[in-house]
Amino acid sequence: MILTLARASLVRHRARTLLAMLGVAVSAAMLLDMVMLATGMRASFGSLLVAQGFQIRLAPKGTLPFDTDATIPDASDIIQQLMARRDVVAVSPVLGAQLHVEHGSASVSAAALGTIAAVQGDYKLLTGRAPTGDDEIAANDALLEAVGTKLGDTLRVAAGFDPQLRTFTGRRSLRVVGRVHFIYLSAGERALAIPLDALQSMEGPSRTNRVSLLMVRLRDSANVESARTGIEQSIHTVSAISTATAIEQVEARLSYFRQLAFILGSVSLAVGFLLVTTLVTVSVNERLGEIAVLRAIGVRRTSIVKQILIEGTAIMLVGAVVGLGLGLVTARYLNSILAAFPGLPEAISFFLFQPRDAWLSLGLLAVCGILAGIYPAWRGASRPIAHTLREEAVA
Amino acid sequence: MTEDGMLVSARDLRRDYVMAGAVVQAVRGVSLDVRTGEYVAIVGPSGCGKSTLLNMLGAIDAPSSGTLTIAGRRLNGLSDRDATWFRLRHIGFVFQRFYLMPVLTAIENVELPMAEAGQGKSARRSRARELLTYVGLGERLRHRPTELSGGEQQRVAIARALANKPELLLADEPTGELDARTGTEVIGLFEQLNRDGTTLIVVTHDEDLARAARRVVHMRDGVIVDEHHR
Amino acid sequence: MTAALLLRGALTFLFAAQSIDSLPPRHPPRSVAIDERLAQDYGIHVGDTIVIAPTPQGKGDTVIVDALVRRTRDPSEVARGAYRIRVHLDELQRLVGYGDRVERFAVGTRGTAGADSALTAIDDAAFGFHAYSSHEIAVESSTTFLVVSRFHRAIGVITIVASAIFLLCIMLLKVDERRRDVAALRLMGISRGTIVRSVVLESALIAVLGSIAGVALGAAVSAFVNWHYQRVYRTPLTFSLVTGQIVVIAVGLSVGLGIFAGLLAAQRLVRRPPLSLFGR
Repeated sequence: MILTLARASLVRHRARTLLAMLGVAVSAAMLLDMVMLATGMRASFGSLLVAQGFQIRLAPKGTLPFDTDATIPDASDIIQQLMARRDVVAVSPVLGAQLHVEHGSASVSAAALGTIAAVQGDYKLLTGRAPTGDDEIAANDALLEAVGTKLGDTLRVAAGFDPQLRTFTGRRSLRVVGRVHFIYLSAGERALAIPLDALQSMEGPSRTNRVSLLMVRLRDSANVESARTGIEQSIHTVSAISTATAIEQVEARLSYFRQLAFILGSVSLAVGFLLVTTLVTVSVNERLGEIAVLRAIGVRRTSIVKQILIEGTAIMLVGAVVGLGLGLVTARYLNSILAAFPGLPEAISFFLFQPRDAWLSLGLLAVCGILAGIYPAWRGASRPIAHTLREEAVA
Repeated sequence: MTEDGMLVSARDLRRDYVMAGAVVQAVRGVSLDVRTGEYVAIVGPSGCGKSTLLNMLGAIDAPSSGTLTIAGRRLNGLSDRDATWFRLRHIGFVFQRFYLMPVLTAIENVELPMAEAGQGKSARRSRARELLTYVGLGERLRHRPTELSGGEQQRVAIARALANKPELLLADEPTGELDARTGTEVIGLFEQLNRDGTTLIVVTHDEDLARAARRVVHMRDGVIVDEHHR
Repeated sequence: MTAALLLRGALTFLFAAQSIDSLPPRHPPRSVAIDERLAQDYGIHVGDTIVIAPTPQGKGDTVIVDALVRRTRDPSEVARGAYRIRVHLDELQRLVGYGDRVERFAVGTRGTAGADSALTAIDDAAFGFHAYSSHEIAVESSTTFLVVSRFHRAIGVITIVASAIFLLCIMLLKVDERRRDVAALRLMGISRGTIVRSVVLESALIAVLGSIAGVALGAAVSAFVNWHYQRVYRTPLTFSLVTGQIVVIAVGLSVGLGIFAGLLAAQRLVRRPPLSLFGR
């Protein structure tokens, strides 16, 4: 009967109920977006880092991977040292550089990653094969389109440009043997993969036996943190960064978004709370006479409060469900704005939907709905019966 | 019921209100006994305290002093929770303004007290139908209060008051909002209820309703000044 | 102290104040200026001697800290944790083996006209160089902040839409609460127009008062945001700015929305026959 009364009360003022639900929906959408923003980046970045199975990254001492142009010297010795460890399964060295692809009278610059095909974790092969020979490269679609070339074609690629002689240095003819997608690069960034030796040679003596990054894959049973500490202590020219540390450091740089998410999420909840409180208060004030009569005929205070709470919670929940859909749409739009961050890997999502987020938002809103309705409901149900009936008669 | 067969036993009931800083003595020492099966009308000018007395008898309002026993249960000092439960099981209340739930149908309004008392759905639906038929509204079960006339609404209110088979039925100006013809119908219903064994106490200005009662209690200025039996 | 150009990312700075190099300096120590945060974090003071080296535990130069440098209001530096030091150009070139090379020149000219002609002259004369105006560089390096700006704007729009809906909800509720009063007035002969005007006036008053409170709250929050983030990132950068234009827009929007919500609610109420407002 309480449910019947609650449902009937909501239906009695349809426009008001619908508008309140709409208000809650907007609040819920905002809340969901902020929960997604607070957790999405971490989840997205974390899954990106472990996608290829490398748990530790070694960068030049004091730097983050590819944060600077610094390189790690004596790369081959370091790789040997790492492979000698029992907990290490594979090591992937990477050298980053800027190469110039000759295109008519001009050139197109592209990011180059020097890797060892057998152990690399930087790209996924789409068609063709990974480059293994000194005269082979694999390119992404952005580069292939920019230079108007395809699989099997040969490109003239240079490592540098001498401004005084106005000539390219470290030139080679390289054949495109594969079409790839680079996991960690931003959308539209032109890039190619080339065997490590070949890139080191093209770059000249300054890059001999040097790499920008070493990615380490550990055994499944290995303890990541002790491996990381052990590596950093034994190899003094590198900083060892685990996935967890990398996530923390990136999060620290983008902590602004988490804080913004927390603030806006709290504001959304507060506004939703305010809306339901106002609705319940007005609804109760209108029905003081009815409530007094219910009490007079023997309906308990708790039953009345329960009925009013059901109304408030129903508005919250229906609004929340609608808001979830709305939130997913707005999240997509907001994500598309943030995806334009320069240098941001294409695979990173600021707003990543996880079912847990939806449950969290729903739960918060349900609790909010209950809390928002409790005080006005209890107040309305606690008024002296005779006095209220008299007042309502006069009114 | 008390040992001497009294359903209602009130001794020296008083009710004081504070209004605008002044104490108003609405009921000033009323003692009243009502037997099971009696039909009592309380009459008096406006402001004499008769509705206040009825509210105390219905456990809607607590007396400032005095004792009140209904159906063998002492009502003084009852907690709100216990008073509510007592009202639900032992007292039926009919108001001047009907006070039906506008969002519920006639049958749902009558079911409401039974649902609160924990009765099962089919049992309460069956009884509600029975009660509405008793009051002559067997064909109007699914109508909402706004679709019923004043007299019909009051009859639904009477059926609701009888839902949990209360020992005592209280009515505060039950014909106050009704035209003469409809009022007569309701008076007739009360007489029938009393013939069927319901104990009634009504507060009224309506002479016809007062005449229908077996015992009339006159109040003035918060005290009983006279009473007579028909 | 001569300002030197910083080699972007080329120098691995290994701070060794806790282990001052025991190698005797080859020449009298040159002076450097270090990041104020570096000084705070490692307890370095002006006059202290430190060693700077291009590689960890490599050989380096002993230098004297001559000055502490505070970060500028540069948004691109905000989230960067890296410390910075300013070194004499020739010393840095020698230390990292860069030779007689730099990454860029900054050219000061006399006025805008001077800048334009200098740009053209440099582009024509220099081999393999390209000259950019400061404005072009600023635009190029602002992409990140343009993204953040767009994001903020989107959040702002969503907030305004949400606020409008909330406002409408609440105004409708509050006005609806008084429908019996309105019904009584209408039955008495008070015109619809009078009722609408009175409700709109009331909502306008609430909107104005709310806007004043909102501006005060916004200013306080803005001050707090700046205080907090300037502390967190140790920068003099202003993160939040409340300008006259922003206040005007915000107040205009909130008052406008408030009046509109009141008008809508009032219109809805006076459209219904008075008796129906009594529930009859």
